[in-house]
Amino acid sequence: MLSQSIWWACITLEILLLARAVRGKLSFRYPVFYCYIFLVVFQDLISFLVYQWKPKSYPYVYWTGEFLCVLIGCAIVFEVYHVGLVSYPGTATMARNILVVLFILAAAKGLKAAAHDPQWWLEANALELDRALRAMQAICIAALVALFLFYSIPFGKNLRGILLGYGFFIGLRVITLTFFIATSNASREFWGYTYSASYLLALGVWCVHLWCYKASPAARQTIHLEQDYQRVAAATQRRLHDARSYVARAVGS
Amino acid sequence: MIGIPTAVLLGSALFLLLLLLATRGSAAAREISSRLDVPLLDDEAGLDPCPREFVARIFAPDDWEFVRGTKSRELQKLFRRERRLVALVWVHQTSTAIRRIMREHTEITRRSHDLRFTTETKLVLLYGELMVICGMLFLAIQSAGPQRVRGLAVYADALSQRLAQAQHDFKTVAARPELHGAGSA
Repeated sequence: MLSQSIWWACITLEILLLARAVRGKLSFRYPVFYCYIFLVVFQDLISFLVYQWKPKSYPYVYWTGEFLCVLIGCAIVFEVYHVGLVSYPGTATMARNILVVLFILAAAKGLKAAAHDPQWWLEANALELDRALRAMQAICIAALVALFLFYSIPFGKNLRGILLGYGFFIGLRVITLTFFIATSNASREFWGYTYSASYLLALGVWCVHLWCYKASPAARQTIHLEQDYQRVAAATQRRLHDARSYVARAVGS
Repeated sequence: MIGIPTAVLLGSALFLLLLLLATRGSAAAREISSRLDVPLLDDEAGLDPCPREFVARIFAPDDWEFVRGTKSRELQKLFRRERRLVALVWVHQTSTAIRRIMREHTEITRRSHDLRFTTETKLVLLYGELMVICGMLFLAIQSAGPQRVRGLAVYADALSQRLAQAQHDFKTVAARPELHGAGSA
């Protein structure tokens, strides 16, 4: 009963979100995000029909849709990066390099684990694979958010909402999937509901932030835009070294 | 492939960052509309909010020795409390100045087309090191007081020198057989 309620609540909010997007022309500004929402609505309806008429095929339909959503979820992260950093090429360079480093580290860790335990790839079920992909997404989102905070990138309400909702959703998915896999059957029911409710929470955040279009605040334009990076970096390095020797002198005086 | 502690840690770190983004987002938007166009990377803007002779005395033992000489417990207690407060204010002001340096840097470089990843990473690491030092100083002053912090700093310096000496000795010992081998070849 509870899972049915969550299901219908999700579909209602998704349709509301799509309707607001068409009305406020938000779908043209964030096309990947709204493709994701449309795909989830479509998947929900197909899954419902399959569950009613052909229950044996339900797991195949569900997991196909789920992995498609993971793929489009990666595209959402890219859309946030692209839209959020379009006016900030310096931060975009940092973000690209950090994401490349993270992918290399993840691939190295995966290969090392596979070499250590070759059976994992054969024995791993869809849930474990889903969790591994979601964990990678969570790391990428965390790195992007840390960069946005460090470089004080100003966000519009809409883009912030997309990132907040999707980030909370992915964070909760990683935690609930881990507990769902690791715990006994008795507590699996609870984690199953939490798993479903995480998406409902994300939809709530999206509905609040994407109700209508809000332009991103323009960052202040300075007269230093054309400064050479090496000169700026050298000045900052000198000032930070001065700070370090200042602290050392004061404490060791 | 990931355990429960790792998953919880990863999820919590992500939630914390998102909460920061949610709270800072609106603050940043307000700041953008209200802030004046102040010059950035102003080399004249000093780090030093306190006079130099004043800073030099915060961690120096002279004043403490003098107060201890009075043999008044009340005075010693008052001195320790006041000096700790002054030291904490100094650490706070210094870390604020360091944050300002980095904020001014990021405000320029975020729009830079020729940003170098390695240079920027080195700067971020240097900034992180300074913030960790300030955090450790804050904790050490809170727990041990500024007089003992100086002792700790001197001890750490001596320890690092001993480590460097040990490393040098080790390198010398490790190089000997090669030299011996090279001579006999």
